[in-house]
Amino acid sequence: MAAPSVPEIETIDPGSVTTSDAARRTTSARWKATAYSLLGAVSFLVVWQLASQYTRTEFDLLPGPLEVAEQMGVYVVGDEAEGIPPGWVFVNFWDTFRKTLYGFAGALILGVPIGILMGRYRYAKAFFFDFVYLAANVPLIVYAILGLLIFGIGDIGPAFVVGLLVLPVITLNVAAGVEGVDQNLLAMSRSFGLPTQSALRHIVVPSLSPFLFAGSRASFAASWKLAALAETFGGTTGVGVQIRKAFQGFSVTDMLAWMMFFVIFVVVIERTVLMRLERWVFRYRLRRGEDLLRY
Amino acid sequence: MSDIQTLTMQHSPSAGNRLLEFLRRDRVARWTSRLILLLLWQAAGILSDRFPTPVETIEILVLEFQTPFERGEWSFFNNELVANLLISINRTGIALIFIILIGVPVGYAMGRWWRVQAYFTDLVTVGLAMPAYMWALLSVMWFGFGIRAPVFCAVVSATPGLIVHVLQGSLSIPRDLRDMSDAFDVPSPTRMRNLALPSMASALIAGIRLSIIAAWGCVVLVEWFGSNEGAGFRARDWYQSAANYNGLMAWGIVVLVVVIVIDRGIIERIDRSVHKWRGSVGDFGARTIELTAVEEG
Repeated sequence: MAAPSVPEIETIDPGSVTTSDAARRTTSARWKATAYSLLGAVSFLVVWQLASQYTRTEFDLLPGPLEVAEQMGVYVVGDEAEGIPPGWVFVNFWDTFRKTLYGFAGALILGVPIGILMGRYRYAKAFFFDFVYLAANVPLIVYAILGLLIFGIGDIGPAFVVGLLVLPVITLNVAAGVEGVDQNLLAMSRSFGLPTQSALRHIVVPSLSPFLFAGSRASFAASWKLAALAETFGGTTGVGVQIRKAFQGFSVTDMLAWMMFFVIFVVVIERTVLMRLERWVFRYRLRRGEDLLRY
Repeated sequence: MSDIQTLTMQHSPSAGNRLLEFLRRDRVARWTSRLILLLLWQAAGILSDRFPTPVETIEILVLEFQTPFERGEWSFFNNELVANLLISINRTGIALIFIILIGVPVGYAMGRWWRVQAYFTDLVTVGLAMPAYMWALLSVMWFGFGIRAPVFCAVVSATPGLIVHVLQGSLSIPRDLRDMSDAFDVPSPTRMRNLALPSMASALIAGIRLSIIAAWGCVVLVEWFGSNEGAGFRARDWYQSAANYNGLMAWGIVVLVVVIVIDRGIIERIDRSVHKWRGSVGDFGARTIELTAVEEG
């Protein structure tokens, strides 16, 4: 989404420099950008450390980065004395992730047909417009409350509200994709007697899939957060429950540790899995060395 | 989409067709869907023992409106419904000032100087990945009751989103025009008014809209987890101390209505007046939906 962090002074006039020169310049620019980026991260850690030193009270309100890292280590390798099994963090994240997946699957099953209808028929668009608008604007806390209201304490609630959250995104993107299908191509395929199946495969699906993918990717981080929130409100397993325990036990260290895990999971999945997937899906329109995903 | 239109236009409307045609109008279709939504809500209320019906929800809101706030004298502004709502809105407003004061300069600077952009890239990425509700829990632990917790939570969770929007806007300022104004020594107020603001307007409005909604969500969340007044507190109070699901639902609806009023009543109007030169906006006279829920968390 955002622009590359390649410095603008390094912009190369193609006429004046040779390609190897250009390549060298871009590489050095990348290095510089990485250095500044590291500087940003380091200064954040320093500020955190200083803040934790100056706010020391008996309640341990702001533990330093090292203490949090230590606690994170405990959640990964486990601790016999505290009764934390090894790999505890993975168990919990898997529980939350599973619910997110169920919600996603439900949203896909319901959202794709509605999206196709909305893209195809004016009546369907007008009919579903308010539903989609409403669902897209509900604050996360209202979703969490809704899950608690309908399903009470349990694990169906989180999955259900994730579905509700993702549904409008999928629907809108599919509708946009269907509207964008080239009608001339369809007409041509009809007049040349192309079977419906191949028309679907070669015209509709290719113009639909980028939209569908963009929608799913955009809602990934939010759905993950909502699943955890709904678990905190009324779940029995998963990250959200651990976070609730940390809050009830008034342990800021635990809370920060789970928060950092959260950041790591979101960033790692976005940067490795989703970015690769996106590159693969959009490979036909990607220029060499270009990344699509930045934020 | 156009198939239906041409189809209905070709036939001359007979008596039976006229009703069908009426039902097919955009406006009528939208009201049909609203009616169906209400019926679904009613059905859900009857089927479930927890989920309240629309009437029950409105009843409890009326009750809230009739109860004076904290044993004071009842007036239009001093009742449980309006007073708590105003407290939350006030907190959101204060948080919003900070969000804009931090987010806009940082976003602009990131678009203007690559060093600034590189410096903040990782911080913004991490900030975007942090869930707002964990900030809410942390700020309750740190600041307890009062105004500091909701404002802090809203600022830390909404600012990264605004920064990204402003950054995109500031990248859309035409390079050559900027270089030219550099070369001709155009004073920066003029440059701001005539170059930066017009090209950033859309992104700025989108970003601020998002921050308002995100800040509102944060304030309500913090009030839910730890506060003694405000919309979120009332929702939790009904749920926990009275085990009253109707009150929970009613306040959930109030929170949702505030978002819709802000979006439809205020932001859309500003957006329309800024983009007057662009002509018609969207299919239903409304802007195409942007997905706040998705970016808000």
